[in-house]
Amino acid sequence: MDAVSVQFGGLHALSNVSFDVSSGEIVGLIGPNGAGKTTTIKMLNTLASITEGKATVDGKDVSKSPAAVRDVIGVVPQELTADDELNGMENILLSARLHHVRGDEAKKRANELLMLVDLEGAAGRRVKTYSGGMRRRLQLAIGLIHTPKLLFLDEPTLGLDIQTRTKMWEYMSKLNKEQGLTIFMTTHYLEEADGLCNRVAIIDHGVIKVSGSPSELKQRVGGDVLTIELTAGPDITDFLRSIPDVHDVVKTDQSYRIKLPKTEKALPAIVEGVTKKGLEIKEIAFTKPTLDEVFLEVTGKSMRDEAAGESESYIQNIITERMK
Amino acid sequence: MFDETLALTNRALKKWVRNPFTIIPGLATAAFYLALFGNSFNPTNLVPASAAGAAKSAILSTTFGGAATYITYLTAGVICLIIVFNMSFGGIDIVLDRQLGYFNTLLTSPIPRASIYFSGVFQNLAKAMLLAVLTFVIALIIPDGLKLTSSFGILELLGAFAAFTLLGLGLSCIFTSLALLARSIDSLIAVVNFINLPLIFMSSSLFPSSSFPSWLQTISNVNPISKADEAARILIVTGNPAANGMMGTFVGDMLYLVGFVVVMAILGYWAAARAMKPE
Repeated sequence: MDAVSVQFGGLHALSNVSFDVSSGEIVGLIGPNGAGKTTTIKMLNTLASITEGKATVDGKDVSKSPAAVRDVIGVVPQELTADDELNGMENILLSARLHHVRGDEAKKRANELLMLVDLEGAAGRRVKTYSGGMRRRLQLAIGLIHTPKLLFLDEPTLGLDIQTRTKMWEYMSKLNKEQGLTIFMTTHYLEEADGLCNRVAIIDHGVIKVSGSPSELKQRVGGDVLTIELTAGPDITDFLRSIPDVHDVVKTDQSYRIKLPKTEKALPAIVEGVTKKGLEIKEIAFTKPTLDEVFLEVTGKSMRDEAAGESESYIQNIITERMK
Repeated sequence: MFDETLALTNRALKKWVRNPFTIIPGLATAAFYLALFGNSFNPTNLVPASAAGAAKSAILSTTFGGAATYITYLTAGVICLIIVFNMSFGGIDIVLDRQLGYFNTLLTSPIPRASIYFSGVFQNLAKAMLLAVLTFVIALIIPDGLKLTSSFGILELLGAFAAFTLLGLGLSCIFTSLALLARSIDSLIAVVNFINLPLIFMSSSLFPSSSFPSWLQTISNVNPISKADEAARILIVTGNPAANGMMGTFVGDMLYLVGFVVVMAILGYWAAARAMKPE
């Protein structure tokens, strides 16, 4: 994507967004509701037109040759679009037909994919009997039937319980590692981006605020926080500050909050120094920075405040019903 | 193009067949119009009881083109009405597909946009035509219902349904486009209600247009519903058109309907292509 802007009416959905996804990567786009995540996916999927700039997928221009782009992409939309009245297999085979995968090859591939997402036993059941997790897994299989080069996933684990979510992560990383599938996803769950993505971009108000590998981004907020509580003794703030790699030390009562890039590196020196001074450690704890902190720093809000609002429309009800 | 259209039409019909109860409202409407409207609004009932016999058949032969009963006249009209209603509300499934995101999955698939549109056209047509056949059967089985002329054979049956199918196809083209353009079910229903009732009332479906004021007659005469009505009625009421000197009118109606289908398909696809462009 090169300096892409997308406007709907007078609204700037994306402003001057540029980034690249290399073959074989898993890239996650995270951001608050309305930040431009879905618009980015829609634009790359040939569903939203570009007002300014240029976007290419597998070397093909999204605005100029949308048909060529559609050949190489797989899409797993946020909505669960599999047909209730058709069974799992019929849904996959329909998608195969629409992607020109035919006959025995379609059946073979459908069976492989149903096996991958653990739905081989439910393939003959109508989708209306599926749980939300099963529908999501089916949706993943549907998006993969034509062996796309690039898979788009819009909120692939939205509304799933933790076991199913973990399963979805397994499938995705398996597909990426074993078949070299390039994945571009949006997500609300920071741990998802952290665990799964090689690279993450945080988008807010249609602008990419920051991008990099999850660990790079976490380094930006200042690394780990180590907390040491001593039983008693003199103030050792200055001593702690003198240890290499320690960024900052804040003392409250007998407790020291030490900021450092990586706990593993400085921990031995700190413990050794404290023990040599004849002081007793009452409690020691450390926290790794999470993407949530990065997110907070970059967007000024916590991801947890961003839970989707309730909607009561008829359509929302159907969608909610399908997710159960 | 053909294979994708077939695949998508097949999908829609499969969904429909697995939910067979959705056909009941359409069947009920047909039965109500034929059995209830056909009896309560029967114009021959307006003839005073004392004048009955001769006056009744005079009305039927002059005003209703020689139909044996009012329901015999009405049947073709009710079949057209059922087709119009079914077409107009058939679009709801298309709007639902859009709102539930299925439409976007189609748009991101490497299939011709025309196959999305024409699968919509054919799925609505197929549903409407099944209802049309069932409406014909209902008309035959209700008491004092449809009385076919003795020369009505298989060719007449096929001819009548060819007229209905052409009407259905043309209407389906336009209503499918409307459904693709509509962003919500409410807006589709609002638009469709503004179209389907006037279309029916400004046609010869329920009453012969010869009894209309002249302005309404003018509109009715160019209304494709009147053409389908007329073509089908010639066959139902009088049998073989060649034997009755009606061939000219019948062929004229059929050609008019073919022209209607061509124009609606072009206009409809043009509008649908706009509706399928990226946002």
